[in-house]
This record gives sequence, C-alpha cells and structure tokens, in this order.
Amino acid sequence: MRTGKGSGEGSAELLIEGVAKRFGEVAALDHVSLSVAQGELLTILGPSGSGKTTLLKVVAGFETPDAGRVLVGGADITALLPARRDIGMVFQNYALFPHLSVKANVAFPLEMRNIARAEIDRRVGEALAMVELAGYEARLPKQLSGGQQQRVALARAIVFNPRLLLLDEPFGALDRKLRETMQLEVRRLQRRLGLTTIFITHDQEEALVLSDRIAVMNKGTIQQIATTTEIYERPANDFVADFVGESNILHGTVSAPGLVALPDGRKLMVDSEAAPGAKVGLLMRPERFSGGGLNEFSGEIVEAVYLGTSFKLRIACEGGPELLVRQPARGTLPAAGTKITVGIDPEAIHVF
Amino acid sequence: MTTRAWPALPALILLLVFFLFPVVRMLGFSLEGGTFDWYAKALGEGLYLRVFWNTFEIALLVTVFCLLLGYPLGFLMATTTPGWATLGFIFVLLPLWTSVLVRTYAWMVLLGRNGVFNRLLMEAGLTTDPIPLLHNFTGVLIGMVHVLLPYMVLPIYGAVRRIDPAIPAAAAGLGASGGRIFWRIYLPLTLNGIFAGSVLVFVLSLGFFITPALLGGGRVMMIAVLIEQQVREALNWPFAAALSAVLLVATFAIYALAQRFSQPETTR
Amino acid sequence: MDIQRPHRRRVLSLLGGAAAVGVSGRAFAQTDSSRAEPPKPAQIVVNHSGGSMGSAMRKAFFNGFEKKYGIRVVETSPVDFGKLRAMVDSGNVEWDLTEIGGQDAIRASKMNLLDKIDPKVVDRSKYPPTAQNPHVFASSVYTTIIGYRTDVFKGGTHPKSWADWWDVKKFPGARSMRNHPTDNLEFALIADGVPKDKVYPIDFDRAFKKLDQVKPHVTAWWSTGQQPAQLLLDKEVVLATGWNGRFYDVIKKGGPIEIEWNEGALKQGSFAIPRGAKNPYWANKMLAELAIPQQQAVYASELGYPGLNLESLNFVDAKVKPYLPTAYLDKQFWISDEWYAENGTKAAELWNAWMLKKA
Repeated sequence: MRTGKGSGEGSAELLIEGVAKRFGEVAALDHVSLSVAQGELLTILGPSGSGKTTLLKVVAGFETPDAGRVLVGGADITALLPARRDIGMVFQNYALFPHLSVKANVAFPLEMRNIARAEIDRRVGEALAMVELAGYEARLPKQLSGGQQQRVALARAIVFNPRLLLLDEPFGALDRKLRETMQLEVRRLQRRLGLTTIFITHDQEEALVLSDRIAVMNKGTIQQIATTTEIYERPANDFVADFVGESNILHGTVSAPGLVALPDGRKLMVDSEAAPGAKVGLLMRPERFSGGGLNEFSGEIVEAVYLGTSFKLRIACEGGPELLVRQPARGTLPAAGTKITVGIDPEAIHVF
Repeated sequence: MTTRAWPALPALILLLVFFLFPVVRMLGFSLEGGTFDWYAKALGEGLYLRVFWNTFEIALLVTVFCLLLGYPLGFLMATTTPGWATLGFIFVLLPLWTSVLVRTYAWMVLLGRNGVFNRLLMEAGLTTDPIPLLHNFTGVLIGMVHVLLPYMVLPIYGAVRRIDPAIPAAAAGLGASGGRIFWRIYLPLTLNGIFAGSVLVFVLSLGFFITPALLGGGRVMMIAVLIEQQVREALNWPFAAALSAVLLVATFAIYALAQRFSQPETTR
Repeated sequence: MDIQRPHRRRVLSLLGGAAAVGVSGRAFAQTDSSRAEPPKPAQIVVNHSGGSMGSAMRKAFFNGFEKKYGIRVVETSPVDFGKLRAMVDSGNVEWDLTEIGGQDAIRASKMNLLDKIDPKVVDRSKYPPTAQNPHVFASSVYTTIIGYRTDVFKGGTHPKSWADWWDVKKFPGARSMRNHPTDNLEFALIADGVPKDKVYPIDFDRAFKKLDQVKPHVTAWWSTGQQPAQLLLDKEVVLATGWNGRFYDVIKKGGPIEIEWNEGALKQGSFAIPRGAKNPYWANKMLAELAIPQQQAVYASELGYPGLNLESLNFVDAKVKPYLPTAYLDKQFWISDEWYAENGTKAAELWNAWMLKKA
C-alpha cells in the first residue's frame, strides 16, 4: 500500500487502525488502516462487495469490528453506540423519516440533543438555507424531488455540527445532470464548513471529481490510498489501474534499462529504472496515444465510437494486443477495418 | 367498469352473492311487517342494551391486550433472524390451526381450580386458595386474546417489515436512544399495522361465542349468543336480524370513528 | 359444535297421544306382507346430531337395516329446524328421516311440516301412552339429574333432592348447572316445595327468586353436554346437573362419579319424517327398526339412552340397567315441551336478564 503525499498524519481527525470484520467465511475487512485529516474529503472507492460499506458501518457504529480501533480526534470510539458518536451520515436512499416534515427531519438530531426550541429553529433555518431549501419546511419527503430529498438528508446530517460526515453512495439515485450539480454543491459545502468527510462510491468518475484523496478497496483490503492524480496516473497495481479510468494494461519483462519486452516479442521504450529481468506491468491511458511516437503500434480498427469530443477506437495490433485509443474528434469517424498506426511516448507509459 | 377491473369480477360476484345479498335479505327480515318494532325491542330493552355494551367492552379489552402482547411479538419477529421469525410464526399461528374445542379445553386444564397455574402458585406458596381464572371474565379474556393474537401480530409484523432498516439506523446515528427511536420512528410508522390489527381483532371479537360460553362459565354474555338463541331456539328471525343489523351498524360506526382518529402513514 | 344439542333433545309429554293408542295398537295386528311394497331405493338419508350418537345408531340400527333390505343408510348432520322448514317449503326434501328437538317437533306438527307415522309399519304398542304422537317417533329417553363426586360425598351422604341441592350448608361445595331456563326453573320450584307433577305452568317469579339463592354457589354455568362430567373430573365442582348418558360414559370408564336419579327431568329424543320425503315408506321401515326392543337395548347399553319400548329393559345387561332413566320413571318428571313451545322465548329472555344481574 502506498500512502500519498499530504495525508497529514499529524492532524488526523479520523484514524482507523487494523480494523477486521468477518461474516462467516468471508473477510469483509482484512485489517484495514487509514487516516483522514481535519477538513479532508476522502473517497473510498471499490466495487460492490469490496468492504467499503462495512468500513463505513464500522465508523458509524452500526457494525462492531472483530479487531482494530476507530479514533476520532484522538479518542477511541470503537465501543461507542452510534447515537454517541456525533457523526452525520447521508444514506444511499437518504433514509428520511417519511412521516416527518422537512423541518422536523432536520430538527431531529437537535431535538435528540435536547437543544432549546428557539435554537433549533434558528439552526434548522440556517441548514435549510445552506442547501437552498428555505420555504420547504412544511413538506413531507414524498412531496419532494430526489435532489431535494438529498438536500434534506444533507442538511439533517450537518445541522448538529458533527465531527465527521459520512456519505454512502448518495448520488446513485439521481439522474446524470442533477448528480453533477449535487456533487459540486456537496463539495462546496464540505469545503465551506471544513467538514472531515468520508465518501463511499463505486463510481470512479465521481471519486475523481470530488476527492482530496481516494482509497481504492478490493476484497476487504485497501489497494492504494493517494491523491486523485496519483491514483489515475500512477496506479499501484492491475486492479487500481483497471478500476480507475479506461486503460490498456500489458505485462512484460525488463530486457535492458528503459526497455520492456512483451510476450509477442515487441519491445517498448519506457521511462523506468526497473532492473533487467524484472516482471512489470505497463499502463497506457487511451488518451495518451497520438498519431506517432517512440513506440508505434500498427493494426486494424475493430470498432470505432463517436463520443462528441473524441473518437474511441479499438485497434487489433498485428500479432499483438488489442488497444483502446482515444483521439480528438476531427474529420469523419474512421470505418472499421481501416488500417491505422498510433504511437505513445515512454513517459506516457506508467510502469508498475 | 374499466377493463382492468375484470379480473376482480369473480371476487365481486362472490361478495355480491354470498355477502351483500344475505345482508340485504337480513335487513329485509328485520323490517318484516313494515315496522321498526324489532329495532325498538333491540334498542329499547335493558337486557339487549346491556349485552351490546358487554360485547363492545369485551371486544375493546381483547383488542387492548392483543395490542400490548402482539406489538412486541410482531416487532421482534420482524427484526430477528429468519430462523427465530419462523419459530415465532409457528407459535403465533398454531391456535388458528387448532380446533376451538381443543384450544378451549387446553385452557381449562391450565387455568382450572386444580389446573397447572393454580397448582404452581400454591406450591410456590404465593396463594393458599386457588385463584379463579376460569368460568369468569378473566378466562374469557385469556381465551379470546389467545385466539385473536395472530390477527394483531401479522399486520404489525408487516408494518415493521415495510420500514427501511436505514431509517431507524439513521435515527440512531443522529443521536436517538432506543426508546426515542421507538416513540418517534417505529410507532408512527407502524400506526397502519396497529390500526389494521386492532380493527380485525375488535370486529372478530364481536362475533365470538363458543369461547365465552365455555371459559366464561356462562357469566359472560355476548350479543352473538343472543342472536344465535333467536335464530335457532326462538325461531324469531326478524328479531335476530334486527339485533344483527344493530351490531353491524355499530361496528361500522366504530370503524369509521377509529379511522378518523388514526392517521395512516405511508412508508416508502 | 355441541352447543345446540340440548334443545334438540327436548321431549314431548304428548298428552294427546293417549287417545290414539288403542287404535294404533289394534291396527298393527293386521299388519301385512300382502300389501304391495314400493320399489327399493338405493339409499335413504337419515339426519341426526352426529357424534357418538351417530356411531351408536349405526351399530344398533343402521347396519341391521342395510343388511335386511339392501338399502344404504346415508347419515347427515347436524339437526337444524330452519333447514327442515326451508326444505319442506321449497319441496326439495333431502332427508327421509330426521332427528328433531322436542319443542321443534311440536311446532313442526303445527306448521304441517311432518308426515304421519304409518301405524301399519311402525309397532308402538309397547310404548307408554305419552309417546304415541301421530307425527313424532320417540326414539330414546334422557334425563337431567344430579352427578356428584364419590370421593367428596361418601356412603350416601350426597344431595338426594333439589331441596338438598339448594342446601349449601349441609352439602357445601361448588356446583354447576346448565346455562338455560329449561330444567333449572323446574328444579327451583321443586326445591321450593312445589310437587313435581304441579310445576307447570311455571311461576317465573317464584322460580327465579329461588334460583337467586343458589346462584353464588354455581361456579360454572354449562352450555355443552360434555362439560358437567368434565367439570366433576377436573374437581372444578363437586356437584353438577347433567345428562345421564354423559355421566354414564364416565362411570363406565371408572370415573369417581355417581348419579342421583331422584327428581330428574325427563326428555325424549325424537325422529320424524319430513313432509315430501322421497322414500316415506322406507323411512317408516327405519322407524320400525328403531322400535325393536333388542336393538334399543344395544343402543341403550352404548350411550345410556334407552328407547321407549319398555320391553327393551328386558334385553339389557343387569349392570347397565341401573344407569338407564327408564328404570326410574316414577321418581322423575317429564319436561313439558308444550309449555316451552308457548313460553320458551319469554323464559329465555328472563333467564338471560337474570344471568346478567350482578351477584
């Protein structure tokens, strides 16, 4: 596991240490450790079944770990009931109280803290203004649109100034356009309030847009935890490379310094100090190819798709791998069967 | 009728032929000779008013006890593991599969002067004389609650099951204690089930008669017993019909009233 | 299921039948095999109250009938007066023969719902004059008497009259009585000093006043036939009124119960042929079967309910005989179905009101 720069161990607001959880034979969490800095937004990214939801439940207090500790602000909260943790959470389906008005939903955490009525009214008003829902106080959740419901859930999760905000795939139920608006809004709000936040998603695009750092999870372990650019440009392994963004992944052996031999005999120039004889993986992002370069591939277009700003081409190379290539959309979309040559420079190839 | 309603036709015909028609027929009987004399008798004589009142009183008490016992049971069954839930279902439904006589005699064995309960109490030194649990109001209440409990448990079970588990979890995360989660979240969201169960139990209670006759030692009189007497023994069908009609109208009135005061809530 | 049984078994005292006796008796002498028999149907339908009574009837009567005539006997239940009336009114009579309660039999005769019994086929010459109603066949006798626990009342120390029953000082202990005016009104009057042949017409005020005295000592008012014996067995009560057959059943099995026959309330079980029955001749033939004393003895030994052919006592085992009400006819009295046919509704209303009265 790599730890990215700027993780700021010293100012860690949330610290997870060696947390493990088994469900029967399955290890949902296999001794996971990570830290989140004050005011940071960390995304936990992984496919379903990777353990990300279990990790969130452990933090929120809905699951008790078999081993390990959870610390918030230096205090061990592992054994604390959810109600005592002071953590705001937005659920996948928002989990709004269907029988309570918008106002009563947002006031709920404050009432549970026995705050005076006037203070509650003031803070609920502020929170609703913050999510731009002033005037909707009396409505029931079912009278709101999906986006509005989510704003209520968000207001309810932040109104009591929680130490931590947890977002469990909150945008999954929204249509694309609304999702993008909400993502930016959540990000804006999180920054403004300086809320330490964990965001769970299986959508890598969303993760890249929102996060300070991303932790990629698979099979109960963290594969890599790093800044967004690092995750994208320098993935730690096949899984991360494949899961985050579109990619071409090849494997080969270093034959000489700066040279990797592929199984088909082709040799690629790379920017790497790996010693000769080492087995390495090569990641080439589709958009890093151009019409020519130090490493050239010739082949036949198998499939061509128009994507508005770019063409996406699938190229079967002669006697070699199939490549996914993106080119700026200029002229007409090349037909399948067209011969083509593309190239990539050594520094655009990530060796791992 | 729209085409979508056609599949419901057999059920509608069934209701019409076997329910609506007999009810109308019964109302016709009660007005035999074009007078309201039988209604005047049903509503004017102390005996019948007393028995009507008794009947509603018993039905209400049975409903309250079924609710007090049935809510925790339905709630547990809805929130426990499937294995325990199945076991719960078997125990709850068992009385429905047992003949009313077997059930009633089982209670006689348990509740009698020399029954299991009294012997245990006496051996434990908690009482010197047997406590009268049978052949009185207590016996009827126990027997009826036992039989009618499933009708309360099942709707409540259903109502709890319909609640998205994230909702109580959210409440806990927002700082609510177990008690507050119950009062603020579960209770309002299961009002539907409570209402449905209560109406079922109440209405079914009104028609009971074998259980009160056997476990009540004859002391607990319900209107169904009097109606049966009029039908089978006195052969006074017009009067029986008038009594039935009064019961029917009173039941509808109570139902309407109850619905007004409950605010059924839809959960997602 | 058994709840309506009591009313069905109520009896006729059939004063009017007496006049007809001589006639029908003599008519029987010329019964014939010469007369042409109607063709045999495949089956006849007999409706009765079912249960143990049904199985005893099959053993005592139906099996023999099937063998003798090759006609299958189909049994249905329960006994339902409303249904009988509906059948006859609509002309679609399913039953060839049906059991019928005492008051109902009287009402049914008045409403012309019953066929006359054919004296040429059914021999009732050995029947007491009170059991010769032209429309109603008296099939068996039963009685409501005192049952008591033998371990509580040893060596003849049990109550022997209704006056004793009311004497809670001399005979302490919980009692059970039927939740019904019939029997109890009569018992109260007898306990209050009315001779047992002078209870009708019943003086309601006097009867209920007397019942007031015993009410606090009655722990359970029973409504089904099996309750009294059960209440005694469970020691819920030490004294219970009940039907003789139910006590007999427990005594036969060695239960700690005995019967006091004195001042018991006699009733008769009846059968009748619905007007418009499909096979009236064969229904009469079935009644003739029910009248055979040997078969009645089989039935009586089974249930403790003897037939009214008084000769049947001669065919009963000596051990069974003491448990048959027909052995004690003089000590007992007959319930008047005619009085109840007139006053039953009023009695029931007064009874209900009395039951609801506190304390």
